Amino acid sequence: MIVIRIGIPRALLYYMYFPLWRAFFTELGAEVVVSPGTNKEILDAGLQSALNEACLPVKLFFGHTAALADKVDYLFVPRLISIEPKAYICPKFMGLPDMLRARINPLPSLIDVSVDFSRGNRDWYSVLSLAGRQITSDNNLIRKAYSSARAAQDLFQKQLEAETPVLEAIKRATGKRAPDRGGQAAAEPGCLCIALLGHPYNIYDDYISMNLIQRLRSLGVRVITADCVPQQTIAEQASRLPKKLFWTLGRKMVGAAHAFYDSSRFDGMIYLSSFGCGPESLVGELIARWARRRPDLPFMLLTIDEHSGTAGMITRLEAFTDMLKRRRKREDHLPAHGQPVYSSQGVAVQTGDRPGAATAYLQENR
Amino acid sequence: MELYLGIDVGSVSTNLVALDPEGEPYLAPLYLRTQGQPIAAIQQGLSLISDQLTGRDRVCGVGTTGSARQLAAVLVGADVVKNEISAHAVAALRMLPEARTVIEIGGQDSKIIILKDGIVVDFAMNTVCAAGTGSFLDQQAFRLNLSIDDFGTMAGQAKAPVRIAGRCTVFAESDMIHKQQMGHTLPDIIAGLCEALVRNYLNNVGKGKEIAAPVVFQGGVAANQGMRTAFARALSTEIAVPRWFNVMGAYGAALLAREKFQELSGTKFRGWQVSTVSFLPRSFECKACPNGCEVIEIRQGQEILARWGDRCGRWSIAEAETGQNSAAPARG
Repeated sequence: MIVIRIGIPRALLYYMYFPLWRAFFTELGAEVVVSPGTNKEILDAGLQSALNEACLPVKLFFGHTAALADKVDYLFVPRLISIEPKAYICPKFMGLPDMLRARINPLPSLIDVSVDFSRGNRDWYSVLSLAGRQITSDNNLIRKAYSSARAAQDLFQKQLEAETPVLEAIKRATGKRAPDRGGQAAAEPGCLCIALLGHPYNIYDDYISMNLIQRLRSLGVRVITADCVPQQTIAEQASRLPKKLFWTLGRKMVGAAHAFYDSSRFDGMIYLSSFGCGPESLVGELIARWARRRPDLPFMLLTIDEHSGTAGMITRLEAFTDMLKRRRKREDHLPAHGQPVYSSQGVAVQTGDRPGAATAYLQENR
Repeated sequence: MELYLGIDVGSVSTNLVALDPEGEPYLAPLYLRTQGQPIAAIQQGLSLISDQLTGRDRVCGVGTTGSARQLAAVLVGADVVKNEISAHAVAALRMLPEARTVIEIGGQDSKIIILKDGIVVDFAMNTVCAAGTGSFLDQQAFRLNLSIDDFGTMAGQAKAPVRIAGRCTVFAESDMIHKQQMGHTLPDIIAGLCEALVRNYLNNVGKGKEIAAPVVFQGGVAANQGMRTAFARALSTEIAVPRWFNVMGAYGAALLAREKFQELSGTKFRGWQVSTVSFLPRSFECKACPNGCEVIEIRQGQEILARWGDRCGRWSIAEAETGQNSAAPARG
C-alpha cells in the first residue's frame, strides 16, 4: 500500500496547531512530513521566493514550503482567515496558497481548505473533514481521526497551561515524549521570571529569535509566554479594551499582557516584534504604553528582521537581566511599605525625585 | 601599586583605563581608534600602559566591555566581561552618585540609562537606525570640511539656530543644503543640526522615558559643545559631562573588576607580554549543517584560545576555556 505523504511547513500557525493537524492526517493513514527547523538555507530560499514586501515570518513560510516541495504528495496550507468568532488572522495568511502557487514551482498539490470561524458556524471539524475528503472517502475514518486530533490538541493546550515550553509541549502532544506535569522544572527557585510576548512563530523559532528563549534560560531566567495563560483569562483580560481588537493574535497578546501586569510574579517583560508587521505596529505600541505606567515592571522591545549578527541581541538581554537582578537585590533592602531603610546616597536621592522641568518637557511632547 | 584595568573595545574607539585601589585613574586614560582592528588596538593600548609602569605595579583585576568584549577578554584574560549598559551606569554613578539619567552617544550606537537610588531601573538603545549617533555628526562635519572639534565651537557662535529635519541623515543632509543655499550662516546651521540630533535622540532612544535631573552626558559625542548646549536647552536642565566622558565604558569595566576583586582569589590577567604575542584570528564556514555558521577562531601559536560564532556550540570553546585558562599564570 502506498502511503500518502503530507507536508506541513514548520512556520506560522504550526506553533499553534501542529498536534491537531498531525494527529488528524496520521490517523487517516498518511505520513506527515515536517520541514526541518529554520536554518540559513530555508531563510535564503524564503527571501528569494517570497515577495519583497512580505514580513519575515511569511518569507520563512515560503522557505519551509520550498524545503518540502519535492518530498511530499500534498502540502497542507489552509487558507487562514479566522480562528475564532469576530476576530481575524493577518490578511497575508489568507493569501498564502495563492502566493505559493504564484512563486514556487514545481509545487505539490495544496490542501488549501478555508479556515474561517468568524461567523461562529464552522470549526476545525468542518475544516479538517473537508481536507480529509481529499485523501479518503471513508467518513467514519475521518470522524475517528478528528477525535484523536482533538485529544492531541487538548493535551497540547493543557501542557501549555502547565507552562511547558511550546516546543516541548509539541513533542509531548505528538507522542514523541511522555507527558508530565513538570513544566519548567529545571528553573531554580528564586530565579528571575520574565514575561515574553510576541507572535508564536517569532518567539518559538530558534533561528529568527536568535535563540531568545534558550539565551534567557541560560541567564537563569524562567520564561513565561502568552501561551501559558488560559484562554478564558485572555478573553476576560482582553475585554478591558474599550473596543474589541480585530486580530486574534494581537488580542491574545493584549490579554496576556494585562494578565501579566495583574500578577506579581514577574521581574520584567520583553516584547519580540518582527520589523514591518502591521498589526504589531498597533498592538506593540499599546503594550509599550501600558508598560510606561508600570515603572515597577521593566519592559524591553526587541525588533527582529533578517539580521544574523547576535551581538546586539546578547548585549540587550545581558543588560536587561543584569538590571533585573540588581533591582531585586535592591528591593531586598526595602520594607514592604516602600520607605527606603537603606540608601547608599543618603539624602541626595531625594533631589532627583522632584519632577523637574526636563520631565515636564517630555510629557508635553508625548 | 595594585591596578585594575578596564578595556572597552567599541566599533570606533578602543579605550583603556588603569585604576588605583581607590578607583581613581592611575594613568591618563587611553582613547585609541579601533580602525577595524580590535586585536591590534588592544595590544597597542596594553603596550602604551605597560611602558608607563614600574616593577612595583601589579594588575589585580581586568574588566572588558564594548561590542568586542569577548575578544578582549580572551586576549587579555578578563575577570569581568560586562555589557556596555552596566559598565556605563557604574562609571556614571561613580562620578555623580545622585545621577538619574545617563545619555551616552557613541560612534554607532546611543543609549539612555535611567537610574534610581544608584541602580539601573530602565534603559534603551537605538534600534535599526544609527541616525542619532556620532557617525552622523562626523559625516556632516566632513561634508562641510570642518574638523569635528571646530564643529562644536562653531555651534556656540550661533545667533538663531535653523530647524533641520533630523529623522534621518538623508533628510537632514538635503535640508541642510537647502538652508545653506538660502543664506543661513554656518554656525546657525550647525547649531540647528545639533538640535535635530537631540530631537532625534529624545524621540527615538528616549521615547517614553522619564528624563529626570541630574543628567550625565557621556560617550565621544559629549565632547561636542554644540550637543551639550542643545541637550541643556531641550531638557531645560544643566548637563553634567564627566571628566573622563569618552572612556566611561572602560572606567566602568575597571570599577567592576575592582568590585569583583574582593570576592576573587586571583586575576585571570595573562600578563603584559600579551601586547607582543602574535594572535592569529581566522574564520571559516562550518559545513556541518545548512546554517553555515561563520566560526571565528583565535590562536596563539598552536594553542586555540577561543572559538565562537556557531549556533549549536560545536566549535565554541570560548566560554568553557577562558573561564579556567590556567596556561598563562597571572603576572604583573
